[in-house]
Amino acid sequence: MLDQYATTLTFIALGAIFAYSFYAVLIAGQLSLGQAGFASLAAFSGASLAPSGADVGEIPALLIAVVIGMSVGALAAVVLGLPTMHLRGVFLAIATLGFAEAVRVVLLNQEWTGGAQGLGVPRILTVGMAWTALALVAYWFWRMGRSRYGRALEAIREDELAARSMGIDVGRHRLAAFVTAGAVAGLYGVLYAYYVRLIAPGDFDFIAAVEGLVTAVVGGSTMFLGPLLGSGFQTMVPEIQRAVGVEAGWIRPFLAGLLLLVVILFLPGGLASLIPRRTRLPSEDDDAAGLAGRRHPAAGEPVVTLAGLGKEYGGVHAVRGVDLEIRAGEVVGLIGPNGAGKTTLVNMISGLVPPSTGSATVLGTAIGSTPVHRIAAAGVSRTFQHSKLFNRLSALENVLVGAHLVSRPTFLRRLLWLPSARRDERTALRQAARCLERVGLTSLAATRAEALSYGDQRRLEIARALASDPSLLILDEPAAGMNHVEAARLSQLIRSLAQDGLTILFIEHNVGMVLQTCSRVVVLNFGEVIASGAPEAIAADPAVIEAYLGSADDDVDGGLLAEGSRADGAPAEDAPPDAVMNLRTGDAGTLDTPDTGPREAT
Amino acid sequence: MQQLLNGIFIGSIYALFAIGFTLVFGILDRLNLAHPAVFAASAFVGIELVERGGLSLWAALPIVFVFGAVLGLVIERVAFRPLKGRADAHFAGLISSIALAGMLVALLQWRYGPDTRRFPPGSFPDTRFEFAGAQVTLVQVVILAISLALMVGLTYMVTRTRLGRGMRAVAENPTAARVLGVDVDRVTAVTFAISSALGAVAGVLFAINVNTAQLGMGSAIELKGLAVIIVGGMGSLPGALIGGLLLGLAEVFAVQYIGSSWRDVIAFGLLFVILLLRPQGLLGARKVREV
Repeated sequence: MLDQYATTLTFIALGAIFAYSFYAVLIAGQLSLGQAGFASLAAFSGASLAPSGADVGEIPALLIAVVIGMSVGALAAVVLGLPTMHLRGVFLAIATLGFAEAVRVVLLNQEWTGGAQGLGVPRILTVGMAWTALALVAYWFWRMGRSRYGRALEAIREDELAARSMGIDVGRHRLAAFVTAGAVAGLYGVLYAYYVRLIAPGDFDFIAAVEGLVTAVVGGSTMFLGPLLGSGFQTMVPEIQRAVGVEAGWIRPFLAGLLLLVVILFLPGGLASLIPRRTRLPSEDDDAAGLAGRRHPAAGEPVVTLAGLGKEYGGVHAVRGVDLEIRAGEVVGLIGPNGAGKTTLVNMISGLVPPSTGSATVLGTAIGSTPVHRIAAAGVSRTFQHSKLFNRLSALENVLVGAHLVSRPTFLRRLLWLPSARRDERTALRQAARCLERVGLTSLAATRAEALSYGDQRRLEIARALASDPSLLILDEPAAGMNHVEAARLSQLIRSLAQDGLTILFIEHNVGMVLQTCSRVVVLNFGEVIASGAPEAIAADPAVIEAYLGSADDDVDGGLLAEGSRADGAPAEDAPPDAVMNLRTGDAGTLDTPDTGPREAT
Repeated sequence: MQQLLNGIFIGSIYALFAIGFTLVFGILDRLNLAHPAVFAASAFVGIELVERGGLSLWAALPIVFVFGAVLGLVIERVAFRPLKGRADAHFAGLISSIALAGMLVALLQWRYGPDTRRFPPGSFPDTRFEFAGAQVTLVQVVILAISLALMVGLTYMVTRTRLGRGMRAVAENPTAARVLGVDVDRVTAVTFAISSALGAVAGVLFAINVNTAQLGMGSAIELKGLAVIIVGGMGSLPGALIGGLLLGLAEVFAVQYIGSSWRDVIAFGLLFVILLLRPQGLLGARKVREV
């Protein structure tokens, strides 16, 4: 009975394993077509280097070939990955495709591969072995899904820059995903070789690579069962057509294409999206200790020290000669008209933008050439002017990624079902839940970030930033787009965080809120610090009033400014009559739609 | 000299094909993998027009151009527009265009069967020229002329006309373009139409050049098209022209001096080196990442 379907079932398993090699990188947002090349190298080296089944027995021969193949695949992925990991999207796809094609042509011209005639390989693989291998691969990705490593990969897929700022070493993670893909593709290559009896370099061509990609995407590239479903679909469609009597010829490929089109257009997450996704929520009754916190600087110790910091963009001085010291426990508000260089300054402090001149030390780390994730690891956490959330992850998962730096790696222990991994995951979950609670989003924990309202997205970003237990929290216009009730609540939150000993630097256009919230205010104009001091002193400073309101002679006095009734870069008298201006407090930033489309995410 | 000319002829067809690819990529950031199917389909349609319709080769070309444009509109409408705004639009667009390409090729198989097709004998004028000691046929000269004319026309359109301005605006920022009154959907559709029309002409010219059309001819040129747009720079029109000519020449000389079996390694070796040294391509501009 089973024999009748053995071939079909074996090909489903093989197709699924190959699709997993695409899934392994798609989950991290990488599009690679090099897997055909890895599989090809692995198949030929495994089949020709492994001892023959007659000498050592069939199963050991296959196992040795598998080990060889997976090592070759992984090694090839390292060799290809090191120079290409900085490429994104289609560029990576085409570079890896070029590699696969080069492998194909080179193997075609070698003696030992048999060239175009191909290489004869004994058939050892049975349907049982194929499914065992598939089960192992699927198990790997299943256990990866909810580990710290798996979440980090998903975060990279959703927003690479935000992932970096959460302390994730993006380069290493991407390379790890790529090497996994190489090993899995190698496994596929060897198993395929030991099933089809004759392999030729042409078996691993562009069309094969595209088929693997299609299988992974149709199945769904965000859930571990996807490749299996995709392979079942891709293998069964022609089988079913044959069974119901559709003749070979043009109708079969036509219907297969049509079905593929329907799936991709109407099931955005692939076939796997038909399976409901369970969202985790922390259990209420746990009361174990939280995550190991970090050592924070004592109150009064310097946290940020800037000396003559400047940034120049093609002759334009965005920031010029800024000297600033922020000490632990301070809440520093950074204000200034649009274009004053506020965001550039905090981008330099958080390591996203290297300074052109001057030097800066943040939490004992010199900035300049230090990668963003190192600075995050030193204890800097931030939000962005335009929310950069991990859109397709739930609110809780977003915050869990935020806890990357303070949680322990769990993937390998999850593979072995060690109880300690479970404990660590629950601790991280609790920490995330606490952060959500702090910003008042507990009830929305299971909602996808992209489905949240604008104000909730901003608060979620703060929760995510808090999850890493930072020493310095940087908020870039957290109140943008909030009404005054929400802004007041945010101000309260910031003050309560400060009471916990957190050092906070925040940019805000809502001057009233800044004056209420901060212990110190720094005013930036044309890239230079024009005033720095206690809120009351700043509100009365003529230079500040001039920067904000054009000139001190305006009939708006400092007292009005202090109340925050006219703040956001109110029009200068000499502004052109048709200039677009924000007149109402708190409107800053609302002209832009939230930048949710990750244009370069893939 | 003969090799040089052959390289230029084949390279100009690669360039014409690749320009269709790069046009869509430059404007939408999407790879349209149904483009090779248009290339194949138009070759078959072109042969049928000459064979059954009794048209001359040159009268068939404008019809194929229109045919390609219509196919482009269909591709945009079916495989790309429904995906607008989806988070996975990148992958999904690749897959949906692959699916549509599979359907197109299946339809070709239904209409024309799986066999290789040729132009009827006597379709080509057999005028030949001697040029610097090399043999050149009139057909080859015309291929080159048509390719160049289309590319020049396209460049003029993109840089000088209102439609071209709209295209560049959409490429820069679709939201802003919409706010400023550009009909983004229309510009997108027209871009697809033009891109496919060029791909269609490339298909016929290719079929004329080698006097065969096969169902698999699209996938054969697909890889080369991808290599060309990478080498030239994604989204760059002159880049695609230079990339195409470079690839044509590299192939011809590789066959001459290294052996035909190594031809594709040259193409992809070139591609690889370019990607590592200059990921934005020879003439592409690097997009600045925004924080």
